[in-house]
Amino acid sequence: MLEQIITAYNEAIFDTDRERALSIVSQAAEQGFSPEDIVFKLVVPAIEQMLASVSSNMDANLAQHFLTSQIAAEIIDQMIPRFKTAPEIVGTIVIGTSPGDFHGLGKRIVIGCLKARMIEAVDLGLNVPPERFVDAALEHGAQVIGISSMMVHTARGDNGCRAVRRLLQERGLEDRFRIIVGGAPYRFDEQLYRTVGADSWAENAVAAGQIITDLIREVKS
Amino acid sequence: MMTGMERLKAAINGTAADRIPVFCNLLDQGASHLGLPLKEYYANGENVATAQLQMREKYGYDNLWSLFYVGKEAELLGCKRIIYANDGPPNVGEMIIQKLDDIAKLQVPDDISDHPAFQEELKCLRILRREAGGTYPICAYVTATMTLPALLMGMEHWMDLLFCGPADLREELLKKCHAFFVKEVQAYRDAGADLLLYSNPFGSTEFVPMRYLLEHSMPWIEKDIAAAGTAGMVYYCGSARFNKVIDAVFQRTGIGAYYLSPLDDVAEGKQIIAGRALCCGTINDIRMIDWRPDKVRQEVKRIVLAGKPGGKFLFGSLLMPMAIPEENIRVMLEAAYLYGRLEEGGGANG
Repeated sequence: MLEQIITAYNEAIFDTDRERALSIVSQAAEQGFSPEDIVFKLVVPAIEQMLASVSSNMDANLAQHFLTSQIAAEIIDQMIPRFKTAPEIVGTIVIGTSPGDFHGLGKRIVIGCLKARMIEAVDLGLNVPPERFVDAALEHGAQVIGISSMMVHTARGDNGCRAVRRLLQERGLEDRFRIIVGGAPYRFDEQLYRTVGADSWAENAVAAGQIITDLIREVKS
Repeated sequence: MMTGMERLKAAINGTAADRIPVFCNLLDQGASHLGLPLKEYYANGENVATAQLQMREKYGYDNLWSLFYVGKEAELLGCKRIIYANDGPPNVGEMIIQKLDDIAKLQVPDDISDHPAFQEELKCLRILRREAGGTYPICAYVTATMTLPALLMGMEHWMDLLFCGPADLREELLKKCHAFFVKEVQAYRDAGADLLLYSNPFGSTEFVPMRYLLEHSMPWIEKDIAAAGTAGMVYYCGSARFNKVIDAVFQRTGIGAYYLSPLDDVAEGKQIIAGRALCCGTINDIRMIDWRPDKVRQEVKRIVLAGKPGGKFLFGSLLMPMAIPEENIRVMLEAAYLYGRLEEGGGANG
C-alpha cells in the first residue's frame, strides 16, 4: 500500500501536479498513515528521488524542484504539530541573496527542502549585506551561511560571499560557520565557489539539502 | 571583404562566405568603452548606439545590439525603479505585480513606439539603422509570453501562480503578456531591428518537464510566433539547455535559428536541426572571466569544429559579463575568425 502511495506521489510531483500530490497525501492520512510516516516515508524520499533523477536525467527540472520543495514545506508544516514527539532539529542555516541580487526563487526552494531534513532555515530575504549574514548566523546559533546569487556580478562582487568570508576571518569566526553558495553563475563555473571564498556550492536546491546537512555535521563534530 | 549581414545570410541560406558569422554580445562593456558610469550610459540611446558601432568596428564581429538591459521590458509595462550596479547589468528594482489583484491593473501600452521608456532605444535603433542598416544585423531582445511574467512579478511568484495559483488570473496575465509581445516585436521591426532574440527559459526542459512544455509552454510559443511571424526570430532559452525541444519547436513554429546554451552539445544540436535552420553554438562566457587565453582559444576551436561541418552555423557568446578580460574577448574573436574560415567556393557553408 505504502509503495503504491509513494509511486503515485512521485508521479504527481514529476508531472508538476500539485493538486494530485496533495490529494494523495490526504488519502494517505485518511488511510491511517501517521504524520511521521507521511513526512519520512513519503515526502522526504520524494526529495531524494528527485535528487537521483537530477543526476541521471535532465528532465528533472526547476519546476519539479520548486513543486517538490513547496509541497514538502506545506505538508511538513501541517504534519509536524501532529507528531507524537517533536522532531530533533539537525541544525540551522541563515540564508539570503547577495547584495544587489533580487532573485529569491532558489533560496525559497532550498528552504522548502531543508524543512524536510529538519534543518531550521532563517530567511534573511533579498539583497542582504555581508554584515547581516554574519550577525544573523551568530544571533541564531547557525552552523551554515547560505548565499544565493543569480547574476555573475552579485556572485563574484566584493560585497557578496567574499565579504562574508572576510568578516568571518576578521572576527575569528571561521571555525564556527561554513559558507555555501548557489545560483546560476556557479552552475556555469563549478570552481567559482572557491574563487569567492565559499566552503561548498550546490548545483540545485534539492542537492543543497544533503550538502548543508554535511556542513552542519562538520561544524558540530 | 564580406559584411556581417552577408555572412549571416550566407549561413542561413547555405551559400558561399569567407567565414561563419560571429556574434559577440557586448552590452554593459559599452559604458567602459565610452568611460561612462552605467546609469549615465544607458540614459542616452546615442551612447549605446555609438558604443555598439565603435566596439563592432574595433573587434570586427558581425552583429549590433539595440538591447540596453533586460529590465527595459518591465519599464515599458510600468516599472519605475531600476537598480544600477557598477559591475553588472541593471536590475528590476520594483515588481509591477506585487499581488494578484495587480494583474487586472496591468496596462499594455497601445503603441510601444510612443512610450517614453522606449524613446532612448528608438534613438539608438535609428542611429544603428542609419550607420549600419543592411550591413550588420541589428539584434533586439524580446521576452516570450510565457517568461515575461517573471520580469513583472519575480520568478518566485510567477512559479507560484503558474503551478499553484488561480488559472483564470494566469490566463489573464499571459494574454496581456502576449499582447505586449506582439506590439513589442512590431515596434522593434518598425525601428529597424533585423533579428529578434526570442528569449524563453520556459521553453527549455531545464525549467519545465517536456510534457508540461508541450501542453502549456508550446501553445504560447505557437501563438507568439503565429502572431509575430518567423522573420528574424532566434529561439533562445536564456542560457538554459534546449536541444531536446528543438525538433518540436521547429515543427510547430518554423523558427529558423536556434541559439544554444553553452551547456548544450553543439554537435547534437546540429544533428537535431539537420540543416533545417541555423544552429548557433555558444561559448561559456562566465568561464571566460577566469580562463587563460589558451583555454579560450581551445574552447572556441572545439565549438566551431563541432558546429561548422555541413554549414548553417554561427558562433556566438551570451550576454558577456563585464568581468571578462579584454584579452580574452580578443582571443575568442580571433579564434572564431580563424577556425570559422570557410573553404573558397563556400563548400562548408553549403
